[in-house]
Amino acid sequence: MFEVFKKELRELLRDKKTLLFVVALPVAIFPLLFAVMAFISSQAAMDAEQKVNTYAIINGEYAQEFTDKVFYHKSFELYKGAKTFNNIEELKAGVIAGDIDMGIYLPSHAEQTLDNGEQSQWQVVFNDSKSINFLFERVKELAKEYSDVLQTQKLISFGIEESVQKSILNPIEVIKVDTADKRENLGEKIGGFLPYLLIPLVLMGATYPAIDLGAGEKERGTLETLLLTPITRTELVLGKFITLLTTSIASTTITVLSMGCWIALALAFADLDFIKAAFSTLAVTDLLMIFVLLLPVAAIFSALALAISIYARTFKEAQNYMAPLSMGVFFPIIISIMPNMELTAKTAFIPVTNVALAIKEIVKGTVDYTFVGLIFLATAIIAAGLLAFCVKWFNREDVLFR
Amino acid sequence: MIEVAGLKKKFKLTKDHKKNKIDDIDPREDKDYFHSVRDVSFSCAKGEVLGLLGPNGAGKTTTLRMISTALKPDEGSITIAGNDIVKKPLLGRKSIGFLSGSTGLYGRLTVKENIEYFAKLHGMSKSDIASRCDELFTLLDMHKFVDKRAENLSTGMKQKANIARAVVHRPAVVVLDEPTTGLDIMTTQTVIQFIKGLKAQGTPVIFSTHHLDEVALLCDRVAVINEGISCFDGTVDEFKQAGNSDELNQAFMNILTEKHDV
Repeated sequence: MFEVFKKELRELLRDKKTLLFVVALPVAIFPLLFAVMAFISSQAAMDAEQKVNTYAIINGEYAQEFTDKVFYHKSFELYKGAKTFNNIEELKAGVIAGDIDMGIYLPSHAEQTLDNGEQSQWQVVFNDSKSINFLFERVKELAKEYSDVLQTQKLISFGIEESVQKSILNPIEVIKVDTADKRENLGEKIGGFLPYLLIPLVLMGATYPAIDLGAGEKERGTLETLLLTPITRTELVLGKFITLLTTSIASTTITVLSMGCWIALALAFADLDFIKAAFSTLAVTDLLMIFVLLLPVAAIFSALALAISIYARTFKEAQNYMAPLSMGVFFPIIISIMPNMELTAKTAFIPVTNVALAIKEIVKGTVDYTFVGLIFLATAIIAAGLLAFCVKWFNREDVLFR
Repeated sequence: MIEVAGLKKKFKLTKDHKKNKIDDIDPREDKDYFHSVRDVSFSCAKGEVLGLLGPNGAGKTTTLRMISTALKPDEGSITIAGNDIVKKPLLGRKSIGFLSGSTGLYGRLTVKENIEYFAKLHGMSKSDIASRCDELFTLLDMHKFVDKRAENLSTGMKQKANIARAVVHRPAVVVLDEPTTGLDIMTTQTVIQFIKGLKAQGTPVIFSTHHLDEVALLCDRVAVINEGISCFDGTVDEFKQAGNSDELNQAFMNILTEKHDV
């Protein structure tokens, strides 16, 4: 068994493609991709913030104070072109033609409308699909400020002092008293994200080498010679299985360590309070517990990938079978982040979902250790069952010689 | 000595096969099964080379796979020196060296690593592996490329490495399934010399082939299979007699036609 394991590992370590998937991707490419993504999105957000958008306003004199605020706002610039805008349709045409980024239409004099006991409905014209919906938010903000001023003035004219206006307008205010500590709050956010990163990595670490260990043997013509050696099929399967378990866990460990290093590096150069707070809550024991829970998950994936791979006749066929498995893994993780999904005696038995839920609870610091034991046991039993199936699969002539 | 008696092997037909089945084409097919080997018997004594002949699809490869223990026969027995290897497949695997034309090597391992790996799986000791490898590398003139990765070898070098891999554990019987298919003249000569060497050592060799000149050159005995059934088992002279011709090709054709007509 160990001879098979040693040989498989040696061969995998000499395979550039495997090294790319198991080592290079987690160490360099993933963090690099994340960094590039973060840079591009922050750059895009900054550009959007700094961009000055051209606008036109119809009947601006109906709310002069508001019109002035928009005029002096750093994000807006009044349209100075030759075109004139007299109604809402012309504003729409101007936005579509690209003459202006936004049009504001005030239908009536705001103060007079209020005096008449009516609500003034202003319209903001812009292209919502251009990711510039912050324009609408900014105008809404400025309009709210103006609306509040009108409201205050009106209530004062009714003899209601400013000091009591708040209680009249909002007689009841509901205040949230959160018993969750800082760690729980952060854990809820990060804990839901971690399984999305870790569990697919565990799978990826097993599937790629599995294709080589099963279908690859058939395609190279080495399977038959291997089956003719005096080792039992159980030893053969175990040798290959332990290889996949090793690559799967190695890939995950390398990724986590690599991300840890990159985060430490980022923190050394930038003052990122949120990240610092989030990761300072995680103790070494928490990380160890997550690692232990991922072991039987890796065993499940390794056994499944090996069974699929040995069934396939060729490398290509195995890749086709692995694709649905990769997609299928996301479903149980999605279930774990659904509302009201909690770690209970029942959910502790749902494969993969249970581990995803447990990781979240561990990060939050609210995990029940009985459930951790239960999950480990349940997942280990499933893994053992799949391994037994794999051994049986390796004994079937119709699978080996399809 | 290896004795094969009354071997039978059937394979379940797949749905696709059933759907595309053309009636009355192959008498070996029934509703659910393809009876690949229906009744095959022959024997090969110490120092003998037996040529296993038959047209494509006759059941030669299935028979050799059963002898090598890769497939389990439905019926029949295979004994090596009195041990039934159908009942004791692990014992059979220790006693047999198997090589086919499509056998591959682990490309990312060197030739030496490939051979050492199989030697280790056969339970050989370190010192034994070292001396046996050296012996085989000299015998097959392999020293120049033993440290090269198998993926970088020529077809001839690969076949030499495969031969060494097949016999590294000093098997009692050697089974070769069309070992010269697709090889050039030089490499074919290497295989032929290797079989002659085994014969000289007294190792029984069973090999299937379509090249009757190889049979004339190497074989003491011939076994013919047609449609999964043994239709001849005897010496080369008996083969010529049964086929009413001194030419092996003609004798082979006559035996097949005669049996088919019957």
